[in-house]
Amino acid sequence: MRPFLRWALVAAAAAALVTFPYWSAPWASRFATTVVRDALILAIFALSLDLLVGRAGMPSLGHAAFFGAGAYAAGIASQRLATDQLPVTLGAAALVAALLALLIGVLVVRSEGIFFLMLTLALAQIVFAIAFQWTAVTGGSNGLAGVGRPMLASLDFSAPDLMYVLVAVTFVLVALAVWGLARSTYGRALIGVRENERRMRALGYDTARLRLSAFVLAGTIAGIAGALSAYSTRFVSAQDAGLGNSVRAFVTVLVGGAGTLGGPILGSALVSLIERVVPSLLPTDLRISDAILGIIFIAFVLFARQGMVGLGRFALLRVSRR
Amino acid sequence: MGGFRKNELAEKRGYTYRLTRRQFLVASSAAALAACGPAAVTPGASPSASPGKELKLGQLLPFTGVYAELGNSMRRATELYLNQNDRKIANRPVTLVYGDDANVTATGVQVTQKFIDQDQVDVMMGVVPTPLAYGIRNAVHAAKLIFIDTNAGGNALTRDTTNCTPSCKSPYIFRASFSSYQISYPIGDYLSAKGTKDWFLAYANYGFGTESAADFTTGITKNGGTVTGKVAPPLSNPDFAPFVTQIKNQPTKQVYSFFSGADAIGFIKSWNSLGLPAAGYKMYGAGFLTEQDVLKEVKDLANGAITSLFWAVELDNAENKKFVADFQKAYPLLPDVFAVQQYDGMHALDEALRKLGGDSSDKDKLVKALEDVNFKSPRGDFTFDKSTHNPIQDIYIREVKTQNGQTVNTISDKIAKVTDPGK
Amino acid sequence: MTAELVFQQALNGLSFGALLFILASGLSLVFGMMDVVNLAHGAFYMLGAYVALSVVQLTGSFWLAMLAAPFALGLLGFALEPLLLRRLRGRHLDQVLLTIGVSLVIVDVIGQVWGREVRSLSAPAGLDGSVALIGGVYPVYRLFVMAFGVALAVAMALVYRRTKIGMLIRAGVEDAEMLGALGVNTNRLFASTFATGAALAGLAGVIAAPVFGVQPGMDTDPGLLYSLVVVVVGGLGTLSGAVAGSVLVGPADTFGKVLFQDVALAVIFAIVALVLLLKPTGLLGRIRIAR
Repeated sequence: MRPFLRWALVAAAAAALVTFPYWSAPWASRFATTVVRDALILAIFALSLDLLVGRAGMPSLGHAAFFGAGAYAAGIASQRLATDQLPVTLGAAALVAALLALLIGVLVVRSEGIFFLMLTLALAQIVFAIAFQWTAVTGGSNGLAGVGRPMLASLDFSAPDLMYVLVAVTFVLVALAVWGLARSTYGRALIGVRENERRMRALGYDTARLRLSAFVLAGTIAGIAGALSAYSTRFVSAQDAGLGNSVRAFVTVLVGGAGTLGGPILGSALVSLIERVVPSLLPTDLRISDAILGIIFIAFVLFARQGMVGLGRFALLRVSRR
Repeated sequence: MGGFRKNELAEKRGYTYRLTRRQFLVASSAAALAACGPAAVTPGASPSASPGKELKLGQLLPFTGVYAELGNSMRRATELYLNQNDRKIANRPVTLVYGDDANVTATGVQVTQKFIDQDQVDVMMGVVPTPLAYGIRNAVHAAKLIFIDTNAGGNALTRDTTNCTPSCKSPYIFRASFSSYQISYPIGDYLSAKGTKDWFLAYANYGFGTESAADFTTGITKNGGTVTGKVAPPLSNPDFAPFVTQIKNQPTKQVYSFFSGADAIGFIKSWNSLGLPAAGYKMYGAGFLTEQDVLKEVKDLANGAITSLFWAVELDNAENKKFVADFQKAYPLLPDVFAVQQYDGMHALDEALRKLGGDSSDKDKLVKALEDVNFKSPRGDFTFDKSTHNPIQDIYIREVKTQNGQTVNTISDKIAKVTDPGK
Repeated sequence: MTAELVFQQALNGLSFGALLFILASGLSLVFGMMDVVNLAHGAFYMLGAYVALSVVQLTGSFWLAMLAAPFALGLLGFALEPLLLRRLRGRHLDQVLLTIGVSLVIVDVIGQVWGREVRSLSAPAGLDGSVALIGGVYPVYRLFVMAFGVALAVAMALVYRRTKIGMLIRAGVEDAEMLGALGVNTNRLFASTFATGAALAGLAGVIAAPVFGVQPGMDTDPGLLYSLVVVVVGGLGTLSGAVAGSVLVGPADTFGKVLFQDVALAVIFAIVALVLLLKPTGLLGRIRIAR
């Protein structure tokens, strides 16, 4: 397929995604828009985590700390700085998340494997504890209510369809950025660090700095996802920075297929689908949606090792062979 | 076939260097497909507001997670009420839409959105954790969806607050349960007025615990009482021995405690095994410390604890006797306060709608009708405070006793018609 | 803090540490032997507690539960290892996902079978009283737990160092491939090890129940969280690591929660962070060459 045609298709898909509320209005309820919006926010979060888990080989179980930091920053900025302007609040979210990622990154960057996992988990839990207890600033366990409407000049993004557009556009930009990163020298260097760090160092790369930059970049994007979440629900819960949220993103990446662009995206679609649809399909006495999720994980690991992306590739290969 | 390069080494290792646009397309359309799921499964129903047509009730309850027991109890109460009334409210057949928040605020917010946008429920009920109630307040208010809170007791939900922080009241929000103030301040006032001035606090270190401890403190300082110290274990604390040991090593014998569920069980067991009753320490608390879910596990270990709540299974009025009997006949269990809260919520809605002839289309009329409800509930007379939409109710001072082989809360005194201050 | 109070809290901390050791020992064994971080360990612990509930309800005997729960979990572990884990040797991220999946299934099954109420288990008759000790009375059960923890550690050390199976396990930790080349049935060895790890988790479920309770959510908190903390802080994969971890974390968590109440939630994680930052492989951990 010629490059021009490929790019045209991508642009068309992106445009369709961004304008989803408008062309789906006749047959889908407004709820469908919120479902896709939330799935896209998870996708942004998962894409950022994949930079660490999939590409740089840094299995972080504390990524929600940055998601939460971004969410709180966006909410607090709109309240304390008395402005709802998107550049300010989103900028604050990105900045705070980046700084937190720098602080934590410096501490964790020399760890590996299970130790890295535990250290990121522990440090993120400290962030969660601060969010949960510091009632004066974060609202404590009751959460931060009254997050301001995201405004751009006089355009109010809190309208459901505009909110969706904001999220979808951000998603497209992040996906493009991650795609570009993967093909760049930086991206390949990250993979090199994952595969054989000693050799990379022997080749002259500052692997610690590479990892730290990946950690900060991933944290910043996660913070942006958090801010979008705060804008959508106009509320920040301490759980946004909690272990459950970190684990959710982690399994999304693994199920979708770590180290690919499509993986975190497909994983988000699947996880969102399961979380939304399965409980409403089961009778109220039968609360086994977690068990179903678990069986899907087990099945993926045993039979579809590369996640949904692997499955998709396999299927496409079969189709194209015909 | 553009962009689809087979890289064996990459495949073995599970990643590719190159990405295909095809994957991107597949991915984004999959995201769109995810939206079709719920839309296709249950297409939005047309709102039915006229009498005789179905009444859709959205019930947001926890069926998984640490509060699952409460959610199940509240569901039993819902089913009991409907079964007693021919599955109708105000002569309209009721369709229940249950949603599980699993004690995750984000999930509960999503379910609320689904109730509003997809199921288009006529009225919403439920919500156990206060953060969730705060989280959905704005969405419910903006959608003018009448929400009858049947548990979450955070004070702010029915008060005027500055900047609506952490939350604030809404004309569309009613509470059929309690405000944390109502179960904490009156007992503080009552006990300190009787002469006990020094108090030690032990409470779970989260919103509900902190709020209860603060309201209790206001109650005792009103009569010149003082707080001599406190321990505040984290929520869902595994080992209570360290904290109870701290209590035992200080002189104030009156301890006001706020714990519920598993924390209450752990606290009471530690309290006994470390010998506090023999050493003269006395346990007081908000009602949840010794509710049925706790008493069935600790049994007589809780004997002597004095707590305040607007209900007890032993409450001696005709409505409660009938309620307890009916509940036990339907389920082999004693009802708990959560069941009562839910039951009263259903009853309030029923009475309000009956006054309107079943018409739920005019939200403001329904609000007015709810404000005017007045009926006999298992807890006594039930009415809403018109300005706050919080119940005006009697608060009972209860003492735990074992009688007829069962450990229950017996009523020792009553503080009549407690209202929430509203600010 | 008076000396009396310090002593009492030290007892609290050590008995808590003993419980943590019993809880974490299985996780440590499985990791040390098989390089598998069994994230279903908390679910095994939870299942052990619920099995104990049923056994006590049926027979009234806590001691029977102490035999039945580990036995049941051991059977489960013996079945799961060849079924699921064997195919994932060396694939760490996959193991994580698999064990998370197993954990989700077990927890939901528990919820459906036993219900989702908050339950509890009493200490067995004879151990449910309190004895006079410096500064008041102390629950006998917590003293029992300390004794049991020590006994378990000693037993495990003896098996590890003085028996053939222990020698095989030590060899397997060093070089499993070589062991297989020498003719040992490593498949059966690994299945048995995983079964033992599960059994230990089940045992912890029973023993900890009178203190920690039996309720939804116990698989993560305290189950998996505290097991992971102990094992990582102490040094992955070794018995002495698990002991060191519990002896440190137990009292540190106890004193920390009481002294720094406003940040009690964060105390245990601050301990982890501190230890890992100072000694990245844990207190007694050795740096291992990756397989």
